[in-house]
Amino acid sequence: MRMLRCAADIQYPMNIIFAAVFLAAAVIFLIADPEGFLPAMLAGGQKAATVSLALLASYCVWLGFFKVLEQSGLSDRLAKGLFPAARRLFRSDDREAVSLACQNLAANVLGLPGAPTPPGVAATQKFLNARNGYAADMLFVLNATSLQLLPTTVVALRAAAGAASPADIFLPTLLATLFSTLLGAVLVFVTRKRT
Amino acid sequence: MKYAALIIPLLFAALFVYALIRKVRLYDCFTEGVKGAIPLVVSLFPYLVSVLILSELFEQSGLSARLTQGLAPVFRFLGIPPEIGKLVLLKPFSGSGSTALLSEILSAYGADSYIARCACVAYGSSETVFFISAVYFAGSRKNLTKPVLIALFSNFASLILGCLFCRIL
Repeated sequence: MRMLRCAADIQYPMNIIFAAVFLAAAVIFLIADPEGFLPAMLAGGQKAATVSLALLASYCVWLGFFKVLEQSGLSDRLAKGLFPAARRLFRSDDREAVSLACQNLAANVLGLPGAPTPPGVAATQKFLNARNGYAADMLFVLNATSLQLLPTTVVALRAAAGAASPADIFLPTLLATLFSTLLGAVLVFVTRKRT
Repeated sequence: MKYAALIIPLLFAALFVYALIRKVRLYDCFTEGVKGAIPLVVSLFPYLVSVLILSELFEQSGLSARLTQGLAPVFRFLGIPPEIGKLVLLKPFSGSGSTALLSEILSAYGADSYIARCACVAYGSSETVFFISAVYFAGSRKNLTKPVLIALFSNFASLILGCLFCRIL
């Protein structure tokens, strides 16, 4: 039963990529360095453990923040202001889901590390439960094409590497990221299922 | 740019002042929110492990280096310096991996070089598509081919444009 369910998922591109990369890597390791295979996988597991702890730390902070935002009534007020526009973007009348999606987008634009995920995951689940695949796709594509206005990591790394003017990368990055987000949103809109 | 660091403390201070005016019990409320953190991480953990094991195999097997080599003519044709090909291939899988790679490129070619600038745009204008799809759609049975392809395509198209901007801006 379990096997069958996994086999039916083959449409999800991750399954194809996972199988292809895993097999190709296994063959290369088999020929070149058979003893390196397990350590490579364990290194991945190790990273996942480290990353999870880092994520846990930032989710703690931001989930606390978002709860205060909710209970103070501020998220309702923000949602009320943004609802007319956001409703059309996501084609959803679910006030709560759209409000969560707006919090996700705002956290993305401000570039708050780790903050977009909790409201993003909650909004996606609500959209999917309401069988609104369009909204879930839109939210995912907006997230996956980067909305961050200030590339803080890049600027910090360039400063560390001794760039003459670390921030002069700002304009090309901003233009490129605006373009990718716009293109992604338009493609989701154009390829939507008509009902 | 240094003002960017002010955003987070200002955001928290403004929210907490507003919440106090609205008579929210801050400690109780904040703690209540934190309760959701462990269940969230637990639900994402298996997907995280699979994606990160995959990105580790992709890199350590030399697969990414071979692919980069094979794709170099394509990158060159599109105006993307082939030296950043590995970064372009790795970014959809792993944020921490591509951050490390970006700082390697910066020190190898010099932070102000054309290659390094293109690498910065590649890093800054795209996102970890597979990682985000694993996290946002954790456990759902939705067919993700379309949104993932759209995200990858948009990021790649903007990279071509970004490298062009690096030449002219």
